Amino acid sequence: MAVDRLYQLLQNRIEGVVSTPDQFHPAQLTNFGNLYHWTPRFVVEPASARDVAAVVAFAREHGLTISVRGSAHSQSRLAISNGGILLSMTSMRRILPPDPSGRTVDVEGGVIWRDLVRALAPRHLVPPVLTNNLSVTVGGTLAIGGLGLTSFKYGTQGDNVQELDVVTGTGEKITCDRKRNSDLFWGSLAGLGQAGIITRARLDLRKAKPMTRTYYLLYDDLRGFLEDAKAAMESGVWDHLESWASPCPQGTKPVAGRRQVFARWFYPFHLTVEFDPENPPDDAKLLRGLKPFDRLYTDDLPTIDFLERMIPVFDLWKRGGTWGHVHAWVETVLPWERAADCIESVLPDLPPSVLVGGHVLLWPAKGTSSRSRFFMRPPGVDLMGFGVLPAIPPRFWEQARPMLDNLGRLTELMGGKRYLSGYIDWDEDRWREHFGDQWEPYCALKRKYDPDSLLNPGFVPFPAARPAGVPAAD
Amino acid sequence: MPLGFGTHEWAQALETAINASSEYRNAAASWGVGFNGNLLLAFERGGALEQGLYLLLKLERGRCLAAEFVPGPSRPEAGFTLRAPYPIWREILNGKTLAASAILTGSMRVEGNMIALLKHAGAHRSLIHCVSSLDTRFPGA
Repeated sequence: MAVDRLYQLLQNRIEGVVSTPDQFHPAQLTNFGNLYHWTPRFVVEPASARDVAAVVAFAREHGLTISVRGSAHSQSRLAISNGGILLSMTSMRRILPPDPSGRTVDVEGGVIWRDLVRALAPRHLVPPVLTNNLSVTVGGTLAIGGLGLTSFKYGTQGDNVQELDVVTGTGEKITCDRKRNSDLFWGSLAGLGQAGIITRARLDLRKAKPMTRTYYLLYDDLRGFLEDAKAAMESGVWDHLESWASPCPQGTKPVAGRRQVFARWFYPFHLTVEFDPENPPDDAKLLRGLKPFDRLYTDDLPTIDFLERMIPVFDLWKRGGTWGHVHAWVETVLPWERAADCIESVLPDLPPSVLVGGHVLLWPAKGTSSRSRFFMRPPGVDLMGFGVLPAIPPRFWEQARPMLDNLGRLTELMGGKRYLSGYIDWDEDRWREHFGDQWEPYCALKRKYDPDSLLNPGFVPFPAARPAGVPAAD
Repeated sequence: MPLGFGTHEWAQALETAINASSEYRNAAASWGVGFNGNLLLAFERGGALEQGLYLLLKLERGRCLAAEFVPGPSRPEAGFTLRAPYPIWREILNGKTLAASAILTGSMRVEGNMIALLKHAGAHRSLIHCVSSLDTRFPGA
C-alpha cells in the first residue's frame, strides 16, 4: 500500500500520533448516531495545544478540513471526517489541580467528565452541571451546550466556564473569557466547533455534600407532573431533578390501519438532595405539596455514585447490543406553555419498542439560568426539555426515519429549539430558523475565525462554505 | 365497485367509514370538543384534477356528523382547512407521503389553529386512513 505522501510531513510537525486508513479503528469511522460512515484521510491524536495549532496550519497549507472528535456522542455530521483530518482530542486529557479556593479547575479539551468527577471527588468538589452520560469530553459538551439534572439552576455546562484556550480556524491560539475576545468565548460555547477547537477550559466548581437522597415519585398524569416539576424548580430545595416518560404497554391498536403496540404513559420524577450524613434530610418537609400518583422508593447514595448512576444503564445497553444501533435522538427544549400539548401529541402513537435501549427524557428547565448566546432556547422563564432517544436496529432505520423527521418538525413548530448533538438533518432555512436573530452573528463568527471553512464541515451549511469531504488538492 | 371521487356517494361512503372506524373514534375522542372541529379538505386543481374539489367534514368527539362536497375554496363553518394541490393529496392517500409530513414541510397549507391540529395528529392520521381505505376511482387513475 502506498504511503500517503502527506503522512510523514504531518507526523514531523507534531508530537502526537498520526494514523492512516489502514490503522483506523472502525469506531473512528462513525459516531454514536451510527448514521454516517465516513473515512478520514488521517486521524491525529494531538499531544498539546501546540500540536492542535500545528495541525490547523498544516490543514490550511494542504487544503484539508479538520473534524474534531471527543467521545463522538454526536449523532449527525459531527465528530467524523470525510477525507480530511479527524482530530481525536481524547489524547489531551490533563487535569490540573483545582485552584486553592476550590472554585475552578483547568482541564484540557479532551478530558472525560467522569475522570474529572473522580479526580475531584476526594475534595467534594463537582462541576455545577454534569451530563447524564459522563463518558463524554469537556470540549465536546461545551461545544454543544451540555445539559444535566442541575441545569434548571445552573444553565448549560457552558454557563459555568471562566476561560477557554481556543485554536481557531486560522491557526491562532487565543485565550478568551467573558471580557477578552468575548465573541470567541461565547462562540465556542454551544458553537458546534465552528470557530475554533477548545484545548483548555477553566471550569467553575461547587462544593458538593457527600451523600444524596433521591425520591422516586411516579405520576400518572402529565399535567400533574408538570405542575409539580414547576413547583420543585421554584422551591429552591432540590439539587437535581430528573424525569422521563415511561410506557406501560396495553396491547395493540390500529395506527393508520396497522396494529401496533400502544402504551399508557407514566412519568417518573426523581428529586434529589445532597446532604451530610450527620444531618439527613427531612422527607416530609421536602415532599410537602407534591402530589404524585405514587412514591416508590427513596435511595441514599454517595454523591459520586449518584453522579455515575447512568453507567450501569449504559453498560446494560452495551451488553444488550443496542449501543451499536442507530441513535437518532430528537431532543427539544419546549416552551412551558406548549409542553403538555406537544408531549401529548407524540406519546400516544410512539411504539414502546422504539425505546429498547433508549428512553424518553423530560427535563424541567429555566430559560433564565443560561446566558449562552448560541445555545438556543425558547423565550420564557420556564422550559421543558423533551427527548425521544431511541436505539433503532439499522435495518429499521428507513422505516423509523419519517416518524423522527416529523417529530423534530413538530417540536420545532410547537416553538421548541433542538439540542444539536442529536439527529439533525437540516437545510439552511431550518438552521436560520433555529438560530433566529443569532444566525447572522453566528455566520460572522465563522467568517472571522474560520474564514476558509476548515473546521467541522458538513454539518452547518454556512453560506458559501466548502462542501464536506472535498478531497484535498495535494 | 369503486366510487367516483368527488361524488355525493363517495362522501356518504366516507362518512360511514369514519363512523365505523374504532381507530378514528378513539384517536379523535377529544377532537372538536370546545372548538370547531369541522374540517375542509381542499383538493386544489392540479395533475388530473381540472377543477378544485372541496370536502367538508363535520367532525366532533370521534364521530363524523356529515360529509359533503361543497362549492368554493373556503367555508365559514370550517374550523380548519387543509389545502394542497391534488397530486400532493394523491401521494398522501397512496401512503407515499405522510399527511403530517406534508403539513410540517408546508406542502399542505393549514388554515386554523395549527397547534390544535398538531396536538390531534393521531386523529388526522386515522381520518386520512379512512379516506385512503375507500375503494375509489380517482381522476386520472
